Order: sequence, then C-alpha cells, then structure tokens
Amino acid sequence: MKSFVAFLKKEWMDLIRSGRLLVLVILFVVFGIMNPAIAKVTPWLMEMMADSLAETGLIMTEVHVDAMTSWTQFFKNIPMGLIAFVLIQSSLFSKEYQSGTLVLVLTKGMARYKVIVAKFSVMIFLWTFCYWLCYGITYGYNAYFWDNSVANVLVPTAINWWLFGVWTISLIVLFSAFVRNNIGVLIGTGGTVLAAYLIGLLPKVKEYSPTMLMNTAGLLAGAEELATYSKTIGVTLILCVAAVGVSIPIMNKRELL
Amino acid sequence: MDILTISNLWKRFGEKEVLKGVNLNVPEHSIFGFIGKNGAGKTTIMKSILGLLEIDAGEILVAGEKVKYGQTKTNRHIGYLPDMPEFYSFMTPYEYLKFCGEVTGMDSADIKNRSEELLKLVGLGEERRRIKGFSRGMKQRLGIAQALLNRPKLLICDEPTSALDPIGRKEILDILLAAREQTTILFSTHILSDVERICSDVAVLNDGKIVVQGALSEIREMRTSEDFLESLFLEVVDK
Repeated sequence: MKSFVAFLKKEWMDLIRSGRLLVLVILFVVFGIMNPAIAKVTPWLMEMMADSLAETGLIMTEVHVDAMTSWTQFFKNIPMGLIAFVLIQSSLFSKEYQSGTLVLVLTKGMARYKVIVAKFSVMIFLWTFCYWLCYGITYGYNAYFWDNSVANVLVPTAINWWLFGVWTISLIVLFSAFVRNNIGVLIGTGGTVLAAYLIGLLPKVKEYSPTMLMNTAGLLAGAEELATYSKTIGVTLILCVAAVGVSIPIMNKRELL
Repeated sequence: MDILTISNLWKRFGEKEVLKGVNLNVPEHSIFGFIGKNGAGKTTIMKSILGLLEIDAGEILVAGEKVKYGQTKTNRHIGYLPDMPEFYSFMTPYEYLKFCGEVTGMDSADIKNRSEELLKLVGLGEERRRIKGFSRGMKQRLGIAQALLNRPKLLICDEPTSALDPIGRKEILDILLAAREQTTILFSTHILSDVERICSDVAVLNDGKIVVQGALSEIREMRTSEDFLESLFLEVVDK
C-alpha cells in the first residue's frame, strides 16, 4: 500500500509540475464558460447577420435561447475536451517506457499492477474533476441567466457522458499495456471508439455500444427514458473493468528495456 | 557464499543466439568486473537477473532465491544502475530518493537519514535543483545513490563509466569502491583499466559464454605481461 501511495503522489506531482493539470483545468473552464456564452450571444449574432441573410432570401424571426441551448452546447463541446484529455494523457505510460524511468521503479520491487491502478486512478480523478468543473460552471451560468429545469434528467445524462469518458480512459490503459509509443495508444483508443461508433449504427446491437452514452439530446428533451440506456451502462462498466483487468497480466509479462 | 549464481543461461533474440549457456558465480562482498565487447550480451544478462527479460533456458539465483520473469521478488535484494539512468526530471534528488524509499517500504526516518548519507557520498548533498538540469555524470551519481538506498545485497551497474569523461569516471569508481563496504557490486564494462583499478573478481563474456572467470589476483599471477587484462581480453576475443 505504501508503494502504491508513493506512486500516486509521484503521478500527482508530475501532473502539477509538468503543467498538464493547469492546461486541462483552463481548457475545461473555458469550455464551461463558452457553453452559456455561445447560447447568450446567438440571438445577437443572428441579428447582426439578419441583413445579409435577408439579401439571400432568408428571413430571420425571433431566436429563442434558454438553458437547453446551453446544455446542447455543453454536450457538443465536451467531446473536444475528451479528445484534448486523451491527447495529453496518452503518453502517460509510453514516456516512462521510452525514458526508462519505470524500469528503476520496478527493479525496486514495485508490483506492476500498482502502476496500472495508480495511473488509471489519477486519470479517472482528473477526468472527473475537469468534467464536473466544466458542468458546474455551465450549470451556474445557466441558473443565473435561465432555468436549468427545462433540461430533463440532466445529472443522469451528464453521468452517462462522464462514463463514456471513463471507458475511453480504460482504453488508454489497455493499449498502453500493449504498445510502446503514444501514437499506438492513440490509434488503438481512437480505433476502438470508431469501431464502437460503427456498431452503434446497427439497430440490433447498438445498445451494446458505449458510444450510445454520447446520445444526450433525446434524454434532455424528455423524448427518451433513462432506462433505455441501462444495458449500455452495464456493458460499458463491464468493458472498463475488463480493459483494466486484461492490462494487468499483459503488463506483468511485458519485456521492459 | 555466492550472492548471485547463474547456471546454463540461454537467450535468443529472433535468429540470433545471444547467450549460449552462461555460468557465473559472484561471491559476496566482491567487486565483480564483467567484461565483454559491445553487443556481447552483458546487458542481456543483467536484465535477465532483474527479471526484465524472459530467458529461454537456465536458472538465476539471487541470495539463494530463484529469479522469475516479470514480477520477481528477488529484486528486493538488488540495487540497479542502468547504463543511462533516467529519473523523474520534475523531482529534486532528495524527492527522488524519498520516492524510492517509499516504494521499497522504508520508514520515513530511515529514508531521511539514508538519503542525506548517500547524497553526501555521491557529492549531491547540496544539490537543490530539479533533476531536469543534471549532467550525465550527475545522473550516474544519483543513480548509484538510488541503487544503494535500501541497502541491497547486490548492486548491479551496467557500464556506469562508459559515457563519462576521465574525471567523471574517477568519481564513479571512487564511489563504487566506497560502496564495497555495504554491498556486493557487479559491474559491466569494456574499459579494462576500470576493472584493474577496483575489481576483486572478473569474468569475460565472449560469443555468448563466460570464457574466463576468477579472482583478479589469480589471473594477474597467471599472466606475465604488465597489461595482463588487455592481453587476456584480446586473446579470448580473437579465438
């Protein structure tokens, strides 16, 4: 346990001193502010463009914005946040393989599964913190300008999307146990998400694809029931545990040079 | 008693048979010079001892315990200094040793005392900068400190002096000599004068086998020339 805590502290120190924590926090704060800001300026932008649009034959009527506009923006922007998160965190293992820093730790008798669990925990903590920070900022502005109650099952819908992020992080861990460089991690993670997306296009099996958790519009508008996603949530949780579980024996047998 | 015993060790990389039945015994409290030309398989043997490489056949015992590939408990007996050690560059030397001490399960008072003692031994006692700006020689010295931190029974150094200038080399050799009181040292090199200077025992690896092994004093007695180690090395390599 002592070695696990020591490794966690090391990961945390790295996050702070490398500036990665700061970059991600700034990014998610900006996204958090942008969601209501875009909703707020949309009518003004439309008004500005009304004259030029009228010349092309398009007549603008009154544009109505509310908290729903801002939440729609939130779920449009958050994939960019996750992509930035994956890009920044994809080298979490590979930079240790390539520089040889991990070899010294492991030759001191540190169990390899602790490396996997520590890095996974730090990424989950970071994703959770950044995601809910962004959510909190958007929620606060929305409450100030409009009324959040127009969005149905808001928190469960947001949890669904957060869970999709957790699954993506478990893929980073899985592919980091296999490959040596972060390009491989990015290709593996991106490829699996793409494959899951394609599976999600098939009506018969789509509920087994974690990418379904990104479908938020129906839930927010009240057109879909939360129970529709219970199978997807279950499958995603199993896939997360399986990805981390499989990465441990792979890591245990990995040749480190 | 031997702290390290390697019996009939075989290792192949693809088509190339790198180790062809290596047998090696390292006596306790020796400084064991492990000589071989570049690419002879010295690093392969060292990584096999640490359980970092899967061996094809043979057995490795550290302090009487068998080494297992992957996760091996025998590493608690070993301190390791790679040829080009890399540390977490965002830490200071003291923070790094604290981290290493916690990973090995040492208590905090012991970590503090031992870190101060070792950083002083390697000449980094007053260094407060982060490792990021360290020269190669400073990294080697810190490497020795981290390897000795938990009082290992065996210190493995992979070509610790090869990439250093003469002053850096002398510093490392002096530190290894000083560390002899605390542990057994196995160090690989192709710099023969380093071996002559500090080693008590020596083994020569050539073509995947140990061709000569014994106490340096005995080998010296067998040879007549002044540069006995060089002539021996050239002789076995040329065969």
